[in-house]
Amino acid sequence: MTLRSYQVGFGDCFLLSFHYNGKTGDRHVLIDFGSTGQKKGMGENLMLRVAQDIKKQCNGKLHAVVATHRHKDHISGFATNKKKTASGDIIASCNPDVVLQPWTEHPKAKVDATQAPGLTDKQSFVAALGNMHAISEAVLIEAERRKSVLGPTLFRELSFIGEDNLSNLSAVQNLMHMGSKNVYLNFGSKSGLEKVLPGVKTKVLGPPTLKQSKEIRVQRSKDEDEFWMFQAMANQFAIRTNANPFRQAKTYSALSQPPFTRWFIKRMRSVRGEQLLGIVRALDKVMNNTSLILLFEVNQTRMLFPGDAQIENWSYALSKPAIKKLLAKVNVYKVGHHGSRNATPKSLWSGFENRLSKKGKKGDLKTFVSTMSGKHGKASSHTEVPRQTLVDALQSDSEYYTTQELKVKNKNKTINGCRYEGTLCIACEIKF
Amino acid sequence: MSTQKLPTRKLTIIAQDPSVEDNGKILRAEVEIPAEELAPGPWGYRVHIVDFDSSTGTLYQPLEYPPLHGADGGDPFKRASDARLLSDPNFHAQNAYAIIMRILARFEFALGRRVSWGFYGHQIKVAPHAFAEANAFYSESDQALMFGYFPGESRMVYCCLSHDIVAHETTHALLDGLRERYTDPSSPEQAAFHEGFADIVALLSVFALPKIVETIIDLNTPRRKEKQIATKLLTIDKLRESMLMGLAKEMGQELSCVRGNVLRRSVELKPSTTYIHDEQYEEPHRRGEILVAAVMNTFLSVWVERLGGLGEVAHGYLDRGRVVEEGAAIADYLLTMMIRALDYAPPVNLEFCDFLSAVLTSDQEINPNDRYKFREKLKKSFSSYGIEPAAAADKKSGLWIRVTGNISNERIHFESLQRDPDEVFRFIWDNRDEDRLNLYGEAYSRVLSVRPCLRIGPDGFALRETVAEYMQIIDLQASELPRLVDDIPEDMPKTREIRLTGGGTLIFDEYGKLKFHINNSLGDRKRQSQRINFLWRYGFFDNPSAFRNFARLHRERATQLEAYTTEAW
Repeated sequence: MTLRSYQVGFGDCFLLSFHYNGKTGDRHVLIDFGSTGQKKGMGENLMLRVAQDIKKQCNGKLHAVVATHRHKDHISGFATNKKKTASGDIIASCNPDVVLQPWTEHPKAKVDATQAPGLTDKQSFVAALGNMHAISEAVLIEAERRKSVLGPTLFRELSFIGEDNLSNLSAVQNLMHMGSKNVYLNFGSKSGLEKVLPGVKTKVLGPPTLKQSKEIRVQRSKDEDEFWMFQAMANQFAIRTNANPFRQAKTYSALSQPPFTRWFIKRMRSVRGEQLLGIVRALDKVMNNTSLILLFEVNQTRMLFPGDAQIENWSYALSKPAIKKLLAKVNVYKVGHHGSRNATPKSLWSGFENRLSKKGKKGDLKTFVSTMSGKHGKASSHTEVPRQTLVDALQSDSEYYTTQELKVKNKNKTINGCRYEGTLCIACEIKF
Repeated sequence: MSTQKLPTRKLTIIAQDPSVEDNGKILRAEVEIPAEELAPGPWGYRVHIVDFDSSTGTLYQPLEYPPLHGADGGDPFKRASDARLLSDPNFHAQNAYAIIMRILARFEFALGRRVSWGFYGHQIKVAPHAFAEANAFYSESDQALMFGYFPGESRMVYCCLSHDIVAHETTHALLDGLRERYTDPSSPEQAAFHEGFADIVALLSVFALPKIVETIIDLNTPRRKEKQIATKLLTIDKLRESMLMGLAKEMGQELSCVRGNVLRRSVELKPSTTYIHDEQYEEPHRRGEILVAAVMNTFLSVWVERLGGLGEVAHGYLDRGRVVEEGAAIADYLLTMMIRALDYAPPVNLEFCDFLSAVLTSDQEINPNDRYKFREKLKKSFSSYGIEPAAAADKKSGLWIRVTGNISNERIHFESLQRDPDEVFRFIWDNRDEDRLNLYGEAYSRVLSVRPCLRIGPDGFALRETVAEYMQIIDLQASELPRLVDDIPEDMPKTREIRLTGGGTLIFDEYGKLKFHINNSLGDRKRQSQRINFLWRYGFFDNPSAFRNFARLHRERATQLEAYTTEAW
C-alpha cells in the first residue's frame, strides 16, 4: 500500500493506494480533498496542482472517493466550475466507482421546508445542519460589518471557522454525481467498497445514527435542532438592512448616546463578538461529528481514517468492547481533526497496542496528520491546533508524519517521504 | 392632605411569558417591589436598564417615569393593550426591571439585609434586547444581565419577557454576590448548584403568582373556571401531570432553546435514588435537574398535604380560590426557605447534601415548629432522589450540629464582630486549634464576608445573626499532595501545582456567640480526594477561567453539547 498525504495547507487530502498482483492492478481511494487556508510559498493554484497529481498517480482512475463530512477543509477541492476546469472537475474525470459519505448527506434525509411540522428526528437533525450553513453565512456578514469593533484576532478566527462552515454547493453536487454509485454510511453499515477493494475489510465506525446515539446518551431532544433553526433566523434578522424589531420606537443617533451608556455599549459590542465565535464553534463541532470513521484491514495492517470526528461521534464506537479490541491493533492512524484536542480520544490512543512505547512490544504505529498551526485556537486556552500535548505523544509513541513539515526543497534537510514537484513539496508518500 | 408614602410600588409585568394566556389575552400580574423615584431607563438604586442592541447597533430611548404618587401609581403600562406590551421596548425594560427588583427584594427579605451583586458596584446593568440570539446570561465582568431575542415561528421572541428567564439570570448575579467561590471548579455538584438553584428560584418565583397557579389547575381541569375543584384532581400525580400538560406545554416553547425546558424535565424526573450515581448525571446541567426535581417534588407534596386540611365545600370538592392561594403561598414560603439556606451553606466546595442540611437548619432556627411539615417533606423528597443530609450533620434530624466546647470570645469586641472582617479574622485566629475551629495550619486564610442580619420568624420574634465566611487556600505540588489527599490521580505529573481550598461559614447569635461552624475543611481527605480526581479527569486544571462563563454554559445547555469530557488533550 501507499499513502500519500497531500500538502493542502489547513485541510485533508489523502490518496490511499492498494497494490494488487496480477489483473486487479492498483486500486485508489481518495479520502477528502479540501482546504481552508494555505501558507505563503505553497505556490499558486495549489488545489488544481494537487488534483492533477492525484490524477497522474491513479492513472486517471479513482476507484472510490470518501468525503468524510461537508466542511470546506475536507471537500472544497471537489468544487467545479462552468468551464469544467476546476480541481473538482479533474477528480470527477477519474470516474470513481463509488462515493462514500455519512448518512447525514443522504438526499432523502433532506427536506426543503425546514419548519415543516412533523419532521422525523433524522430530518430535523439534517435540517439543523442546513441551518448551520445559514448561520455561518450571516455571521461572516456581521463580522465583516463590525470588523473594527471586533479587533483583528477575533475577526480572523470568526472568518476562519465561519468560512469552513459555509455550504459548498458545487462540491456537494459534484460528490452526488461523480460516482457510479453513492453510499451513505453509519456505524455498522456495509462500506460499499467490497467489490472495488477485494480482500480489504472496511468497517464503518461512525457516525452513529440518532437511534444509536440514544443508546449511550440521555435522550436527545428536538430542542437542540430548534435552537439552530431559531439561531439561523436570528442571525439572518440581524444582518438585514435596518434590522430593528421596534420600528416605531425612538432611538438615539450614534452621536447622541448619553455618556453613562458608553462604557456599557463598548462592553456589549465585544460580548457580541465572543457570542458569534461561541456559536460558530458550537456548530463547527456538530458538523465535525457527522464525520465518517473508516477502518481498513488488509493482511494484518489496520488503517484508521476518522475524518474530523470528535469525542461525541467516537463515543458510540468506543462503547463497544469488540470494536475497542479491533482498534487496539491499528498500525496506521490518520490523526483526527488536524490534531485538535477533542478528536483523538485518550482512551482510543492509550488502547493502541502498536505504540512504540508500549512495554515489551516493538510497535510499528504510523501516524499522519494534515495540519497547519496558527489557524485555529490558542495555546493559552489549550485549544491550539495541533494541540501540543497530543503532538508530543504522537512524536514519542509513533512514526509521525505531518504535512506541516512539508516545505520547499532544502539541501540541508530532507524530510522523510517528501515528494517534490519542482522545488515545492506536494505530498508525503509512504509505502508499507 | 398629605399622601401616605408606601414602601412598595406595583408594576405590571407579563406573568410568565406572552404565550401563557387567559381568555385569549396575555396573562399579566402586578408585582409589588420596593418603591423609588425612577430615572429614565428605568434606572433605580440597584438596576440600570440600558436598552442597547449590539446586533443592530441600536440604542433605544428610555421612558420618562411618572411620579410614584400619580394617578396610575407610577405604572405607565397599567392599562396598556397586549399589542403595546409586545411592541413597546419601554415595556420590555419595565418588565425586566420589575422582575429583577422582585427577586432582589425576595433575597433581601429572606436574608434580612441588603444583598450585593456579584461585582463591585451597586447597579446592575441590564440589556433587555442585547443581541439577536437565543441566549440570556449574567456576565460578571460586564456587570450585567443580557437578554437576547430571536424571530420565532409567529412572532419575535424576547427573553426579557419571560419571567423565569429573567429570574434565573438575576439569581446567578445574586448568588455570585453571596457565595463568590461557587463558580470555582470544584465538585460536579457545586457546578450544578448555580444552574439548579437559579432554576429553583425562577420556578418558585413564577409559582408564587396566584394567577399562574390558577392557570396550572385550569389547563388540565375538565370543569374550568368554576368555584369548586374536585379533590380527586388534587393528588401529587394529577398535579404533576397538570404542570406538565398545562404550564410546561404553554410556556413559550420557543424559549426552551434558551432555558432547556427546565420545568418539563424537572417534573418528568420521577423520584429515584439512581440518578445521583449515574455517570450521565455527572454533567453539571443534568445534575442540577436532580436538585430542581427534589424541590419541585417537595412543593407538590406540601401542597397536597395542606389541601387535606381544607374543609370540603361540597362532597368531594374544595374551594378553588383556596387551593390556588395555598399553592402560591407554599411556593413563596419554599422560595424564602431556599434563599435563607444560603447563609447556612459552606462557602466553598458545596455539595447537595450540604445544601439540604443548610435548608433544614436555617428553617429550624426561624420556624422551630414546622407546622406544615415543610422540613419533613423536604428531607423525604431529597432522600427519594438520593440526596441525604451532610455527613457532618446530626444523623437523625439532618440539622447542622451546634457548636459546643471551648470557643473563646475573650479578646473579641462584639460590636466589631458584626461587621468587621479583621475582627472576625481575629476570632478565627484565636480559635484556630484542633479542638475548636480546627483550621489547617499551613494554609493562607482569609475572611470573605461578614454580614449582620435580622429576620422575623412567623412567631413575630426577631432573629438576629451575624454570618461570616472564611476560606483557606494552599498551593501544593502534586508530590506533596499526600499530606491532604489519599487518592492521587496516577497520571498527574509530580511537579504539577495544585490548589486546594477549604473554608467555613460562622453563624454568631445575637450575643456574638458562635452558634454554627459549617465547615468544608481543607483537611477533609475524603472530599479533597474526590474533588481532585474529578477535576483532573475532566481537565479543569487546564483552563479554570472558562468555568465562570455563563454565556457558554447556557448555550451548551440549550444545544446539549457535552461540555466536559475525560477524553480531551
